[in-house]
Amino acid sequence: MLELIGSILVLLGAIFHFSAGLGMLRMPDAYTRMQAGTKASTLGNTLILAGLGFYHPEWSLKLLIIICFVLMTNPVSSHALARAAHIIQIPMTRKTTVDALRDSQQRHRGGK
Amino acid sequence: MSNVVLATGLVLILIGLWGMLTHRNILRIIIAFSLIGTGTHIVIVAIGYVTNGTAPILDRALTLSEAPSRAVDPIPSALVVTAIVIGLAVTAVMLAYAIRLYESKKTLSIDAFTESKW
Amino acid sequence: MRRTFVVLVVALFGLVFASLVIAHNERQSLRPLAESYVELVPEELGAPNVITGILLTYRAFDTLGEVAVLFMVAAGVGLVLGASDQQSRRSPRKVSGSSSRPSSEIVQSGAQILVPLISIFAAYIIMNGHRSAGGGFQGGAVIASGVLLLVLASTRYRVNLEFLSITESAAGVLFVLTGIAGLIFAGGFLDNRMLPLGQFGAFFSAGAIPILSVLLGVKVGCELSVIIDRFRA
Repeated sequence: MLELIGSILVLLGAIFHFSAGLGMLRMPDAYTRMQAGTKASTLGNTLILAGLGFYHPEWSLKLLIIICFVLMTNPVSSHALARAAHIIQIPMTRKTTVDALRDSQQRHRGGK
Repeated sequence: MSNVVLATGLVLILIGLWGMLTHRNILRIIIAFSLIGTGTHIVIVAIGYVTNGTAPILDRALTLSEAPSRAVDPIPSALVVTAIVIGLAVTAVMLAYAIRLYESKKTLSIDAFTESKW
Repeated sequence: MRRTFVVLVVALFGLVFASLVIAHNERQSLRPLAESYVELVPEELGAPNVITGILLTYRAFDTLGEVAVLFMVAAGVGLVLGASDQQSRRSPRKVSGSSSRPSSEIVQSGAQILVPLISIFAAYIIMNGHRSAGGGFQGGAVIASGVLLLVLASTRYRVNLEFLSITESAAGVLFVLTGIAGLIFAGGFLDNRMLPLGQFGAFFSAGAIPILSVLLGVKVGCELSVIIDRFRA
């Protein structure tokens, strides 16, 4: 029974990883590609590790620590990459209508 | 089982080879080169697999008496351990060259560097 | 014309690789050399991890050669990128203020939490080289990734190059001196039986292999950190 739950979780994680790869291929510009890659692959990692925790219950504490580590590092690195891309002014697609970072920087500079 | 891993490593080498021959941007050629390295490491480790074997580390899963019959070949793993670190260092040298090439011609396309062609 | 040439080359390589996969049979038992290693390492060296035993005793001379190759690569990167420092100081920088912009707050806070964790993890991997998976090379690479995070997080962080070069050279010299001590006190160069073998699987066991692991990890970590520091804008 536990093995069945574990297998379903691992399968869900694999589907999320696949959708991350698919998103990186199909998205129009760099920012959307980074968002698709990070969010889906972090969740895929978490689900696969949780499923593995159901398979081997004696490993569950170590797997929980690994999940916390992945949740801490993946978003931080993707944030650093996206911010660097914005600074060197990689163009956005025409469908993007709001640029919150540029607006807040202009407000900050205009208010000073 | 190790057939699948072997095929994956060889497919990675093929993808890296295609990328190295097709792209014109220097950074993509370097990424393809690193892919060939990773594929080669996977192939080397896959060759050493023994059917129903486990890692050659003696702990609760593998006791001393049954080690020679159930352990996986340790020699390819030992070779790959150093190969990975050396691969990282070689990629660093390639990136240093890419930086210097960009500073001399202000472009990353490899078609701009024609001095050593006939 | 060029595309057909590329497709032809990749197809021919694909045929060769396919024949390799089809003709591959999984082995049922170990090859004679591998079987002798798996039997000898726990008996003679007292190390549960067969791979580290091979890398640091039976093939330790090759490990010394790999360390020399890493040193040459670090020197090569320094040579290729070193001249560009003087050039950039003469000509004005074109990218607007890229060299002094502070990194965002998320990266700084994340680095404050993650760098101690990464350092502890690297020390754990190095010290466990002889008991379970790990060793000098792997721990050195993790140390270098921690240094990379520090370089990314704060623009004022400068790697202390003199300290790193002295540490790296001292680690290399101590490695060779340990080998010569093995020559004097035990069987041959870099033999690990000069220190007592201890209890199988304990922390202080397997002779000189933990000492060699630590020296190797320190040396590899320093060299990779020097390479990473060279790439700072």
